[in-house]
Order: sequence, then C-alpha cells, then structure tokens
Amino acid sequence: MSHKFGMLFFIGAALLLYSCGSGNKQSHNRSGGDKSLRQAQEVAGTGGFRWDMASGSAIKVLLNQHPYSEAIIKKIPDFEKVTGIRVEYAITPEENYFDKVTTSLNSRTGDPDIFMTGAYQIWEYAGADFIQNLDPFIQDSNLLSPDYDIEDIYPGVLGTLRWDLVPGHMTGRGPLWALPLGFELYSLAYNKKVFEKFGLTPPKTMEELIRVCEKLREFDGKGTYPIALRGSRNWGTIHPGFMSTFANYGARDFAVEDNRLVSKVNSPESVKMTEDWVRLIKTGGAPAWSGYTWYQAGADLGAGKAAMLFDADINGYFQTGKGASKEAENIAWTVMPLPEGQDEINSNLWTWAIAMNKASRNKLAAWLFLQYFTGAEYSLWSALEMNAVDPARKSVWNNPEFQAKMADREGYYETFQATIDGTRILFTPQPHFFETTTEWAATLQSIVAGKYTSVQEALDILKRKMDEAVEDVVIE
Amino acid sequence: MMNMKIRQLSLSALRNALLSLYALFALFPIFWMILITFKSDAEMYTTTFQFHPTLYNYKEVLLRTDYFKAFLDNIIVSSGAVLVSILVGVPAAYALARYKFKGKEDLAFTILSFRFAPEILVILPLFMIYQALGIYDTYFGLIWVYQLITMPLLIWVVRGYFEDINVEIEQAAQLDGYPWYTVFLKILLPLIKPGLVAAGLLAFIFAWNSFTFPLLLSGFRIETVTVASLKYIASDTVHYGQMAVAATVAALPEVILALLIQRHLVRGLSFGAVKG
Amino acid sequence: MQNDLASSAIDYGKKPFWVQARPYLIMAPALLITVGILYPFVTAIYYSLTNYSFRTTTFRFVGLKNWIQMFSEPEFWHAILVTGKYAVASTGTEMLLGLGIALLLSRESKFTRILRVLLIFPLMIAPVIATIIWQLMINNSVGILEKFLNLFGVYDFPWASSAKTALLTATMIDVWVYAPFVVLLILAGLQSLPKSPFDAARIDGGSAWFTFRTLTLPMLKPFIYIALIFRLMASLQEFAIIFALTKGGPGNTLMNLSITGYTTGFAYLKFGESLPYVLVLWLIIFLISRKLVSRWLLVQQTATGN
Repeated sequence: MSHKFGMLFFIGAALLLYSCGSGNKQSHNRSGGDKSLRQAQEVAGTGGFRWDMASGSAIKVLLNQHPYSEAIIKKIPDFEKVTGIRVEYAITPEENYFDKVTTSLNSRTGDPDIFMTGAYQIWEYAGADFIQNLDPFIQDSNLLSPDYDIEDIYPGVLGTLRWDLVPGHMTGRGPLWALPLGFELYSLAYNKKVFEKFGLTPPKTMEELIRVCEKLREFDGKGTYPIALRGSRNWGTIHPGFMSTFANYGARDFAVEDNRLVSKVNSPESVKMTEDWVRLIKTGGAPAWSGYTWYQAGADLGAGKAAMLFDADINGYFQTGKGASKEAENIAWTVMPLPEGQDEINSNLWTWAIAMNKASRNKLAAWLFLQYFTGAEYSLWSALEMNAVDPARKSVWNNPEFQAKMADREGYYETFQATIDGTRILFTPQPHFFETTTEWAATLQSIVAGKYTSVQEALDILKRKMDEAVEDVVIE
Repeated sequence: MMNMKIRQLSLSALRNALLSLYALFALFPIFWMILITFKSDAEMYTTTFQFHPTLYNYKEVLLRTDYFKAFLDNIIVSSGAVLVSILVGVPAAYALARYKFKGKEDLAFTILSFRFAPEILVILPLFMIYQALGIYDTYFGLIWVYQLITMPLLIWVVRGYFEDINVEIEQAAQLDGYPWYTVFLKILLPLIKPGLVAAGLLAFIFAWNSFTFPLLLSGFRIETVTVASLKYIASDTVHYGQMAVAATVAALPEVILALLIQRHLVRGLSFGAVKG
Repeated sequence: MQNDLASSAIDYGKKPFWVQARPYLIMAPALLITVGILYPFVTAIYYSLTNYSFRTTTFRFVGLKNWIQMFSEPEFWHAILVTGKYAVASTGTEMLLGLGIALLLSRESKFTRILRVLLIFPLMIAPVIATIIWQLMINNSVGILEKFLNLFGVYDFPWASSAKTALLTATMIDVWVYAPFVVLLILAGLQSLPKSPFDAARIDGGSAWFTFRTLTLPMLKPFIYIALIFRLMASLQEFAIIFALTKGGPGNTLMNLSITGYTTGFAYLKFGESLPYVLVLWLIIFLISRKLVSRWLLVQQTATGN
C-alpha cells in the first residue's frame, strides 16, 4: 500500500492555503458590528422607550444549564407577548457550555444574539471583539426602559462586568460588557447539628478552622470528613474560597512591572497561604479531594458527609430547598475564616451575566431581552419563585418577602450583608486567565500529592509557567 | 470414567463462575443506573439499596422537559445516518470487493482512517463550513457528519461479505439474463444480510451515543439524547436520578434493536474473514 | 473453498475508460461524502502553521513555531507517554478479557445464550454517561464500590483522585464500556470457524491448550486484528472518559494528547498551538493502523490458507 499520494495531497493543499497568507476572521463577517448598533438606534427612533419597538424580529439565545436559565425559559412566553419578539434558545450542559459559545462567537455569523457569560470570559471575548459594548444602549433614553434603575444593581457586581480591555487593569472601569442575572460570594457553610453535637462554634480564623477540622475527622463514622473544598484540575478550584483566602493573606496573582504582567504566586504571603491551605486539605478535606468540583463539594455537605463547606454561598443554598438534601434543615452560614489579625473580608465573586454578540443582526431585540431579564421585576420574581440566587439587585434583598424566604437559612442573609462590601473580582484581568488558573489548580493537586519537596519550590515553578503564559501580554 | 465426569463438571462450573464474575462487572453498573432512576436527589448520597422508590425522576424527565423531542431527533439523525451509509456504503463495499483497480487498498484504508480522525481536529473547520453552507443545526448536517462514524465500519464489514460470495453465482445469474439490479437485490443482498444488519446495529449504536458532533453542530432546533442527558447535571446540583432516567430511556431503542437481530448479531460480524 | 481473490475479482485493467472508471463511479457517492470531511483536515494543517486564536480578530502565518514549541515542551512528551500507556493498558486488557470471555461464551448453553445478548449492554451507554455513573459508584463517601471494598478491609481507596490509581480507574471504565465490542467480534470469529479441523484434533487426542494454540488462535487472528485495530485506534485518542473523570488530573497524570490538545485549543483558546498535538496524534494513529491493516490483510490470507 502506497500512501505517498495521500501525503502529497495534504501537503499540497496546505501550501495552497498558505498562499492565502494571513487571515482576518472578520472579512467573512456577514453583518453585525457597529452598523447594526446604529440600525438599532434608528429603528428605536426618538419617540421614547417602548417594549414593542422590535416587534416581529427573532433572536437566538444560548444558555447554560442553570437555575438562572430555568427561570428565563419560564418567562420567555411573557417576554414574547410583551415585545412581539420570537425567541429561540439552546441549553448546553455546563461542562461544554463555553466550548460552544467560543465556537459560535468565533464564526461571527451573529448567531446566537445573546449568550450567558461570566466575568472571566469577558477578558477573552471582549479583546477578540466578540461582545457588544452595552454603554451606548444604557445611555440612550430611547432605548432604556425608564424603570430599569441600573443604580439598583450592586455596584460591586455591575463593576465586575466593566473592563477597559487593558490587561493588568482591574475590573470596574471601562465599557459595560454584560448585565448580571445573579452572582455568588464565598463564605463558610456548616452543619449546625454536627457543631452542636461536638460543642463547637463556627471558626473565625484559619487556625481555628484547622483545629475544628482535627476534631471533626470521621465525625459520623467512616466516609465522613470535616470540610468540603473544590480540588479538580480546573480554574473552578482556584476562584472560590482559595482565591478569597489568598487575598486575605495579602497575596496577589500578578503585578505590572515594566509594562508586563509578572506572576507573584511565589511571594511569601502566597507561600504561607498555600501551606495553610494544603494543611487544611490534609487535615480536613475529602480523601478524593482532587476530583471535587462544585457538585461533589455541595452534595457532601447536603448528604451529611462533610461538616463544612468553604465555597460559594449559593452552593450550600441549593442543598437547602425542600427535599433537596438530607441535611437541608441543618445547614447554616458564617463569614469566611480569616488569617490571624486580619479583620477585613475580601471575597472573590462569580456572576452569571448575559451579553450580546457583537456580530448580532438583531441588536434592538437582543437589547430588549437583556433589559427584561435583568430588570427589577424579573429579578424579584426569579428570586422568589425560582432559585435565582444571589440576586444582583438591592431592591430584591430589601424585599420583605425575599427576606422571609431567606430567614429559614440561618446566617445566610447576615453573612451576605457582612461580605458584600468586600466582594469584588480578586484576579488581575488578563486574557490567559483560564490557562494560568488551570496550571495553578494542577500545581495545587501536585503539592497535595507530595510531588514537590516544598511549597516554595512548587510555586517557583508555577510562577515561571504563569509568566510564560502571559508572555505576549504588553500593557500600553 | 467417574473421574473424568467430575473433572468435566468442575471445569464447566469454573467456566460458569468466571462468566458470572464478568457478568457481574458488566451488568452491575447497568443495574445500578436503573436502580437510581427510582431514587430521589435527597436519598442519592445517603442510601444504597434501601430507599423510598419514587417515579418522580421519570415524571420530571419524560413529562416536564423536551427530552422526548431530543429522543425523536436522535432517532431521525441516527437512523438517517445509518440509511445513508447503507445506500452509498454497500455499493462502495461491492466495488472494493469485486473490482481490481488502482489505489484500491488506499481508498479502502482512507475510508477506514476517517473513523480514526480525532474529533477535535475537524470540529472547528467543520463548524465554520456548516455555518457558511447554512447546514448548521439541521438534520442534513448531522447526518452528513455522522458518516464519519457509521460509514467506515459498514463498508469494512460488508466488504468482507462480498468477498465471501463466489463470483460465479453472480455471473451465472447475469448469464440467465437478469438485470444487474435484480442480481444485486435478489441474490447478493440476502447473502450479505447478516453482516449488513450487525454492522448497521453497531453503527447505529455509535451514532446514537455520539456527543461532540451534535453538541457543537446543533442545539437550537435539534438536540440529541446524550447532550440532553448531560443537562441534568445542572449548576445547582447533579440530578443523578434524572440523568439515569434519560440514559436508561436512551438505551431502549438500542436494546430493542439488539434483541430483534440477536440471531444475526454475532454471526454477522465475521467480516467474511474466515471462509470455509 | 476460497478462490484466489485476484482471479475471482473482475479485472478491468485493460478495458476502455468507462469500464475502468466503473469501480470509481460506484464508489463516488461514498467518496464524495467523506471528501467533504477531508477539507477540515487540510485546514487543520494550515491553521497549525498560524497563530489562530479565539482571542484575537486576526491571525497570521508563523511557520513551524507552534510545532517547534510543542516539541520543546516536556508536557508534550509526557502526553505521548500517557497516550501510549492508556492505549496499551485499556486495549491490552480488553483484548485479553474479550478473548477469554468470547471463548467461554462460545460453548452452547442456555446461560451463554442469554449472556451473549446481555453482555453487549454496556456498549449502549454513551461513554460520558457511563463515566458519570461510575463516578457515582466510586465516590469515596457515598459510592457503592467503597462499601464493597470495605468488606475486604480496604478503606478510602483513592480511585481517580490519586496519581497512582487514576490510570487504573480510567482503564477500568474503558474496559467496561468497550470489552463487549471485542467479545462480539471475537465471538463472531469463533462461530465462523470450520468444524472439521477441530473434530480431527479431538480424534487425535490433542490437549485443549494444544488445539487452541495451533488451530483456534491462528484461525482467529483476523478477528483479533480487526478488534485490535478498532480498539487501539480509539483508545489512542480517548477523550470522553478521561475528561469526564478527571479532566486530565490529578496534576498532569492523565493528560494525553487529546486532552492536552483540547485544553490548549478550547480552554486556553490557542487553537493554532493546539493543532500540532492533535495532528501528531492523527499521524500516530495513521501509521499504526496502516501497519496493522496490512498485517490484517496478510493474516487473513494465511488464515484462509492461500
């Protein structure tokens, strides 16, 4: 069998393509861009805001499988009735959701018009010119519903969706890229029945936490353990309790030096924090910690296998619905433990937001969708009737009905109020976020597995890897 | 005499024991999956065999989501893919078996090699082509890309069968004045049937369970069951029970098909490799 | 009874053009359908020579930069090693187990008749789902397998969470899903074996092992090869099981070429840099399968006595 022909064919064809030289992905762009923004403004006219001003158009929405999207889907018929816009949607399992978003946006066909996103993804997508800047819409009184009240959204949450596209600059300034559906901050959830039985009080410092862990080993026989933490080889391991504690120890991920990003993960603060964190995992973590994602961590608290959960407040929350888990009634919250001598809480934040495809051809309709599903009325409904927590609007938290709903969850409301002011994104925005954090998680796994002689050695190697990853980032 | 009988008996007992051991390994997870379809989320982590059985998961999946739509889509796409593979693959297999021509083994191998293409290698260019041609999120588009999964297997099995058929049978029929299509349908097709059926089933199974292609090349109008099953891993919690329902129901068409053709299943995969 | 293929096949070597073209014409639809899929291969090679990224609006030709960079990464060689280990471990186990089970199943009895149908069921569960079901079973705090091992005094077996046992766990799931495929193919082979040589061997009083080694195994070889080809090729590029199980962890334990390529391309959005990994994988698969297919053609002829 001779295969020279086939090989030659491949090489020939590759060379043929090479002669096309470099490429501009936007040249294949069928429409979208700024033109469609002006179109949206023209259609809207100057006659003031009307919900039915895009009546007759159709939009596509890409959703991640989530309680937020379950709530959206329930209200789509209402939205269609009010606006006369037809909505088509697709829901994708979370594990593969962003693969699909990336592939779709990259094709720049304007499909989908709307997608769910987190703040970290914006650092990649906005630089690639995938996302529509929402400021022109927010600022146009003909386009913004008079009762939208953007001030009602927690500034810390809305701020995470603003970024000026300069790597190294923190979020909070620059164009608005998305609007929040809901968010999470980080705290310590614990099983109050177990704590009562052992005569323990919720730990306030990291040292106390580790001491509590020592007492709670196999607190209910084989297979039970003190504290559930995420540990899988994924950015999800770094961003919850880990990153918050990292900041509380005074450490930071990057610094800007000579217009370049330089990793600071091998700083003394970071080493101390990592040593303590590894001690926490070894004293109190699940035996299979390195496989733990959001699901296992939350489920173990709910099943009574873990006595504590240091993760998103809403992860514990989802275990407390009626019949949601065995320990549903026994879960309580307290603010996260801090290093000795520290009294200011820094919490990282994750938000699921909705954004508009820059290449969308139906921007007016898409904008109405964004407004409707982040508006005050919808936010209240989705927080009360569906499980859309934590709401990003202050008016929802101030609503007595919502407060009554949260009152069953001991300490939830108080913990939220105590943490929210110190809540913001603690990572330095840069487009290689997923690479640096995945490497970070892999290193943490290897440290716990005992692959390094010291934490310092591991973090020195990690620093080099992170520097390499952000090598092409130049800050102007 | 007595000794030999005992030996034979103990030998067969040993054989059955080994088989049972493997059967336990192979079937326990399936049993487990069916078991947890009756478990509520609250009992999922706290009970093993003793729990309060409920039909809640079935109600949730079959009545309250568009799972059924995904199920129908999957039937259309998978059987469509197998049909197309049969329509174009059987003649191709025939050509590969009957004719001697330049580059024959190369062609045969090239077709086989598609089965071995890493999916992520082709998925992005494919996505862009599909968008450009307007076949993204269509039955046609999925049936086309599924040919990567179904066609190579089918051609290779059926080719073996054609090689197995004595060429004189065919020539005799032609001499008797039967047109080629009659020869093909009345004489050749019955002879390759076992192989066609068995390879068709395997191809159907692989297409039915395919994940990456339908995930990225469809979603708004068309959805398949594997993608739909994974949606029960919601962000709040993993609804294992509901996922198990989705996976169990998804396996039903395959089980039914396998039972229907069990007669052909094993014999049909002999690839015509050993003839005698 | 088998005729020489070359003499039985219709030889159109010296006929007019339209007759010569006939086999190509018959194959044309099949080829057209697959050639459409060939295009992505070619573009993949092209993109591997560019800095195509999902993070930028433009891209340009960078020559062999991605390739050179890949070859200088220790992660690449690690990925090659993991790919090889995984393929050998899973395919090897599946072949041995498949052969054994097929031999056991080939005897006629009510038990084996039922099992022949039941045992292919694992094949019908999508690998991603199968992995999630297994994950639930191996979960330390709640899994059924932990309770089972407790009976033998083994506690907290680390399964996928330890570098020492992650490969074993992934292999176990792979074997669970795909061993039935091997069983099926080899069983098909066993059933198509001619009866007469075996009767003769029995009359000669040859031991069972001798019969197996000198008769069964050689005649079974073509089937073993086919099963080997399909399984080896698929396990070299295994993605679904590993990704659902550990995403390549713990640490870098299970980062094979597929997972590394995927992570670089889709998680880190560096598409141009990810392609060399997948192309190398494709090349490895191509070369090995070519070798195996020509061996298969050879053993097929030997087995048929030509």
